[in-house]
Amino acid sequence: MPNTGLADFSNVTLVLAIVLYAVAMLAYACDFAFGNRQAAATSSARPQPARVEAGVLVGAASGTELAGHAFPADPGDPTELADLSGGADLAGPGTGGTRTRGTGTGSTGAGGSAASGRVEGDAAAGTAGAAGGGGFPPGSARSGLPEPALMAARPSLWPEGTWLRGAFLLTCAGLALHIASVASRGLAEHRVPWGNMYEFIAAITCSAVLVLVVGMVRFRAYYLGLFVLVPVVLALAVDVVVIYMPAGQLVPALQSYWIAIHVTAMIVAIGTYIFGAVVTVLYLLVSRYERQVAAGETSAAAGIWDRLPHSEVLDRLAYRAILFAFPAWTFAVIAGAIWADHAWGRYWGWDPKETWSFITWLVYAAFLHARATAGWRGRRAAFIHLFGFTCLLFNLVGVNLWITGLHSYAGMG
Amino acid sequence: MTQDLAGREAGAGQDRVAQDVATGQGGTAGQDVAAGPAQAQGQATRLTGGRLGVVGWLRWGWRQLTSMRTALVLLFLLALASIPGSVLPQQGIDPAAVTQYYAAHPALAPFLARLSAFDVFGAPWFAAIYLLLFTSLAGCVLPRAFRLARSAGQPPPRAPRYLARLPQAAGFRTDLAADPALESAAGLLRRRRFRVRTGDGWVSAEKGYLHEIGNLLFHLALLGLLVSVALGGLFGYKGNRLLVEGDTFANTPVGLDVFHPGRLVSAGDLQPFSVTLNKFTATYITSGVQRGQPSWFAAAIRYNSQYDGKLHGYDLRVNHPLIVDGVQVFLIGHGYAPEFKVTDSTGHVKFDQAVPFIPVEQSGLTSAGVIKVPDAQPRQLGFAGVFLPTQIDVGGRLASAFPAADYPRVSLVSYAGNLGLSSGQPQSVYSLDTSRMRRLAVSPRPLAPGQSIVLPHGLGKLTFTGYRQWVSLAITYDPGQVPALVSALAALAGLILSFLVRRRRIFVRAAPAGEPDGVATPGGATNGGATDVEVAGLTRSDAAGGFEIEFAELASEIMQEVRGGAAAAGQPGGVAAAAGPKGE
Repeated sequence: MPNTGLADFSNVTLVLAIVLYAVAMLAYACDFAFGNRQAAATSSARPQPARVEAGVLVGAASGTELAGHAFPADPGDPTELADLSGGADLAGPGTGGTRTRGTGTGSTGAGGSAASGRVEGDAAAGTAGAAGGGGFPPGSARSGLPEPALMAARPSLWPEGTWLRGAFLLTCAGLALHIASVASRGLAEHRVPWGNMYEFIAAITCSAVLVLVVGMVRFRAYYLGLFVLVPVVLALAVDVVVIYMPAGQLVPALQSYWIAIHVTAMIVAIGTYIFGAVVTVLYLLVSRYERQVAAGETSAAAGIWDRLPHSEVLDRLAYRAILFAFPAWTFAVIAGAIWADHAWGRYWGWDPKETWSFITWLVYAAFLHARATAGWRGRRAAFIHLFGFTCLLFNLVGVNLWITGLHSYAGMG
Repeated sequence: MTQDLAGREAGAGQDRVAQDVATGQGGTAGQDVAAGPAQAQGQATRLTGGRLGVVGWLRWGWRQLTSMRTALVLLFLLALASIPGSVLPQQGIDPAAVTQYYAAHPALAPFLARLSAFDVFGAPWFAAIYLLLFTSLAGCVLPRAFRLARSAGQPPPRAPRYLARLPQAAGFRTDLAADPALESAAGLLRRRRFRVRTGDGWVSAEKGYLHEIGNLLFHLALLGLLVSVALGGLFGYKGNRLLVEGDTFANTPVGLDVFHPGRLVSAGDLQPFSVTLNKFTATYITSGVQRGQPSWFAAAIRYNSQYDGKLHGYDLRVNHPLIVDGVQVFLIGHGYAPEFKVTDSTGHVKFDQAVPFIPVEQSGLTSAGVIKVPDAQPRQLGFAGVFLPTQIDVGGRLASAFPAADYPRVSLVSYAGNLGLSSGQPQSVYSLDTSRMRRLAVSPRPLAPGQSIVLPHGLGKLTFTGYRQWVSLAITYDPGQVPALVSALAALAGLILSFLVRRRRIFVRAAPAGEPDGVATPGGATNGGATDVEVAGLTRSDAAGGFEIEFAELASEIMQEVRGGAAAAGQPGGVAAAAGPKGE
């Protein structure tokens, strides 16, 4: 029998977590509205994608030194991939920061200046473009290459700006309560707390916020807070108000240690997929804005887009999310197949849930392939990414509500 | 699994381009890089331009099939083709739902059936898509595997002449002479487990073959998965059996209610074991919102195995199958089998057994079933009705309030006439054909155990003597199971390897400062004794980023190593390194 005291504690902490998330959302929004522009620019590492993570080699050298030869190491630059692997799409999808290598000054300059119009911090890139192709200034070595430096120049991970710091702390506090809520629910029920739709949504949102916090710190992507928390708060509100199920026992079909493996892996993968989908939506919006800027147009929401990093940074971040989520999903599906074999006598039976997880897997696999295919990189791949996420959502919501199958555990009947 | 597949685009062009980058022939490395794909496209255009023989067209077709674009389209097609399988009822999963669909959509259903829409995953068009996809996959992956095997024995390519053109490049000056500087850089790279090749004034190093190996492993494992599934479809079988407490069944085609053999399975291939159900126990939650939900199922069984011929006891539960002689036996369902005794007009007992009733709803486990007494005289007797584990009366209608048999009752409608069993048409044991029977005027008052219905006109009597429980068992044998698991895990391992490891090359060039060496020297001045060292890095698989950090660390370590070497050699004016080479 469930421990009602703990279950009540879980309910209260979840509501508190939602409140904290909502306040954090507000603080993130305030940061967008009133935050220090300069602080935002540096904290989100606007100027050059490479400087976000490298911060070393390139950061040590001034823009002029880089001009024309030592391409500012843009690892997400799709052209680089194309070059190395023989892909045909040298021009790239037309993002502002794309550089065409080895062809001299023009393209470098174009790339630099396209990005430079937006944030002050881009001045260096702009200069680099303008000076591109000039003779090498006397450097430490013959060809003027920058000298390798130690990793000391790694920038602080701490968010800058009062609003942003406050928002980040609120997010962390909300996450702590969220985890406490999920954990106490599990303790109350003496089992893993993901046995029905209510518990599952509480768990995947928790996973999404956890991925958000890790992503924000690891990649200094504090600008993402607002955009990830919006769907999280909405989902949690619906979860608490509409879907709520009191603590209870598991049906025999779920009484297996495989629930701790299969469903936990699903939760981790889905949390990361949510993060990746949000970043991809931002990527699409920012890349559209960049094209508008390149075409000399303006955007009504320019104030927001200017505070987000370059679209390539977003593209790479979304891709990184999938590099983690896709193997996690694959593992979860395999674990599910082993469990299905254990419980139903076949490892794959085209149950609707299985079919849709297969479809989701295929579409995300298509996304990964599209990113490596000429003419499909960039926005097209991003649309495939979002299509994959739509399949995932349909599997979570649609299959539970409209299609009956062996996986009908949601308690939504 | 992703980036390197870009190699599909340019086919063999990939190696050539990489080679161009690596060797930097004639100072046009950059242009070569740019031109490589264009050339590859040019070839493709020429190929499509006509004047091709049959072989040419075949080659063109094969190239199209194994191209990444085709793979993408096939991936989408496969996803799309799976959707009807989740929306429409499937014959192999829920045949009853297909029958219902026929009844609900009499016009549409036959049309859909012609399109195999009720058997999507066995449909020819579904097979066509995945076979094309796997052909495309094999056509892409196998040549790459051969290329990788060939390149495994080869040293890394020569260092390009113009390292500054590479995406990652750095340079520094040292007082050490060029050769010892290169020697110490090569030593460091070797210690970092790079494959190192040295030449006149350069070092070339490569690492990360596991990336490509992982990528290939993933794709080959998918092929393995397909083979495993086929293996199960050919040599495996599955069956179902409904077993009432006290009964025994033997694992033979006759002993099973439903038997789906694989294509190459004959009756003699079935492992001869038998299973007896002693007792089935189900417990249910008795209070709260989950009231009526099951909390525990267990079937106490006895089975014999062909190997020792002995009887064994086993506690068969959900998620706890029995494995006997390599065959798995699963508990997949349960229900009630009320027991009836029927005497006919002659006073003889013509029927005395438990009849499995099938649950029609889960919350109270109301179950429906029929009793057929073909031997009754003078007329055959038939009964249809429901078993109510915990009977209640809801506004004059009978219902069951709880799935446990706390207040068991049966309510039956009685018929007399011709059961239609002799017509030769196979008949379900769960349905009664009343077209040639007459309903008898008997009050449908629910019976408690021990109570009877006395039929009018002296036709006989039915007694509800009690009830037993039944379980439905799934019996499966799938020789593809273990290969499928191994393939899936290999695919996962390959995926993770290819995502974690990047293949990268590091090049080092060293030359006395100011010496021409084929490179334009901006300063032009000769600095006596000093050596300029350039380090450059290149990766093929770094779309997610991270190589620039590794390169920066490696480049600074090379600098420290070289300068440390200079200091150790006591070179005058050697730039002291801040620290020795970082530990391994």
